[in-house]
Amino acid sequence: MYLLLALQKALACQLSVPSRASSYPLRPRVSSALSTAAQSVTVEIPPIKAVDNIQATIKPAELNFKMATLILDNGAGTAKVGFSTDTEPRIIPNCVTKAKNVRTRIFIGDQIDECKDLSSLYYLLPFQKGFLVNWEIEKQVWDHMFSKDVCQVDFNETTVIVTEPFFNFPSVGEAINEVIFEEYQFQSLHRTQAPTLSCYKHQKDKETSGSLFGTLVVESGYSFSHLVPFLKNKPLKEAIVRVNVGGKVLTNHLKEVISYRQLMVMDETYVINQMKEDVCYVSTRFNKDMQIARLKGPLNTITRDYILPDYTHIKRGHVRPPEDSGKSKGDEQMIRMNNERFSVPELLFKPSDVGIQEMGISESIMHCLSLVETELAPHLLNNVLVTGGNALLPGLQDRLYQDVRSMACDDYDVGISTPKNPITYPWHAGCDFSLDPNFPSMCVSKHEYEEHGHNICSQKFNVSSTSPS
Amino acid sequence: MADKRESVRIKDGQQLRILDEAARRRRQRKALEALEQDNFSEDPHADLKMSKKAPKFEEVMETASTSGPKKKRKSRGDFKLRYRKSFAALLEEEHMLNKDGPSYVTACAPPSKFPDRHFCAVCGFPSAYTCVQCGARYCSVKCLGTHQDTRCLKWTA
Repeated sequence: MYLLLALQKALACQLSVPSRASSYPLRPRVSSALSTAAQSVTVEIPPIKAVDNIQATIKPAELNFKMATLILDNGAGTAKVGFSTDTEPRIIPNCVTKAKNVRTRIFIGDQIDECKDLSSLYYLLPFQKGFLVNWEIEKQVWDHMFSKDVCQVDFNETTVIVTEPFFNFPSVGEAINEVIFEEYQFQSLHRTQAPTLSCYKHQKDKETSGSLFGTLVVESGYSFSHLVPFLKNKPLKEAIVRVNVGGKVLTNHLKEVISYRQLMVMDETYVINQMKEDVCYVSTRFNKDMQIARLKGPLNTITRDYILPDYTHIKRGHVRPPEDSGKSKGDEQMIRMNNERFSVPELLFKPSDVGIQEMGISESIMHCLSLVETELAPHLLNNVLVTGGNALLPGLQDRLYQDVRSMACDDYDVGISTPKNPITYPWHAGCDFSLDPNFPSMCVSKHEYEEHGHNICSQKFNVSSTSPS
Repeated sequence: MADKRESVRIKDGQQLRILDEAARRRRQRKALEALEQDNFSEDPHADLKMSKKAPKFEEVMETASTSGPKKKRKSRGDFKLRYRKSFAALLEEEHMLNKDGPSYVTACAPPSKFPDRHFCAVCGFPSAYTCVQCGARYCSVKCLGTHQDTRCLKWTA
């Protein structure tokens, strides 16, 4: 019955947008109904007439790949998940959370939204330093994501795209294969990296305005920031640079600083992360801002009073409007953010400020360019794409431009762009990628996996051959 | 009179316990490790999970999502053991298998070519001075006082 419904839905969908029906493959659920009808006898076969109707409207070329495609951008902070037909992915915190005052249950992924008191949350994270190590937790989150609460995945009829970090350890990759095929029984799998997808979309979107020879993707996420140069769509593995600063380090550093200077907030990761997102910014004139931050009274345009949530009256932390600044009223708790506002995100550019002896992201761009062929460098420089959660920090793109401009050769143009939503960009790219004519050939099907095991996966998902060139 | 005169600085200097280079590095390493921590405190409900009375959430999930074919429950037991590898173990493994060629280790950004900047450990503004005892940075006498009262040799992160 479910199949029938899906068919009807698809028919309706096609009727309403007849012009697009030929340029886009069908809604995957429907087309997958077709494939099962053809392959399997256990499934109730829909009436012939409906099938005929559908086949009449799709071109033969589109028939060769017609599964539902689930895209799972499995970030260490948040997982972005959804079908390729969805307009936006669901953003699910990739963790299991325990709340101090809730003793009866744990919160898996976005179930934390049901929790009223978000103070002193205890996090169980499947990722360690950006790599998937704790499957016990990841399984719970994935179970939740694939269940009807979030995506309602029909594993037998679904192709899944899963992202992993660059230089993922082989055993982690093998574990992903095993879990996807053996635990969940997905029909086929494509493993790739978020920057590879981003580059694909970026390339495709820009194609009309002249071909892009090279793209440098700066992906700054939760655990670390990667700089990945691409020649067309091929990541240049030797020149990938990783800076071990990401959103987690920033939040932890902010927590530490506030706890020492003002208020003990070491347990309030959630609240402080929210505060970081609300008030922190990247300074484009660091020394000047430091001077302003020293000033007292109205001359100091940087300082902000941040009211902390108490989860009884104040449900969410917020900046107190400048006009009623002064002493905090009642029993509300307040943090005064001054130089912390910009010195914390500064770690992305100067990890050495806290003793991480690495280049910051702008210096790393230059380092990365020195590792690629000289002819490619100007192309990369002119086509830098910033993605990941930290790209939402105000001023990041300007600062990056300013730094790189001052360090790069004057003859070269510097072009830096940030997509409208840098967090979900790789996910959207995954949607586009799943429509690529070459996509089916880059997937490993369950059958192939059963036949050849991990070997075929490592062949097809090799880091330098994940995308068509 | 002359023998009564003594320099406070010299006297204090002899009493000072000065952290050696190794101890300072150890502190620095601990501070960096703290930046990678998931949680500051221990699991508040660590003992609770053991209690048989508390409903186990996994079980609820299991029954809620049994719309499809029944999952293999047998594999769940060894599932945890099979994949449980710490980051350090993975890194070790990578080191053994992939000696040459680009890898996690080689991709790390090298040290910056620019000199370090120094900020007051207390207030966060640029600092010009270093604490003699522990090597932390401070910018003024006021901040030094705070530093000595709170962290200098007392801080054990």
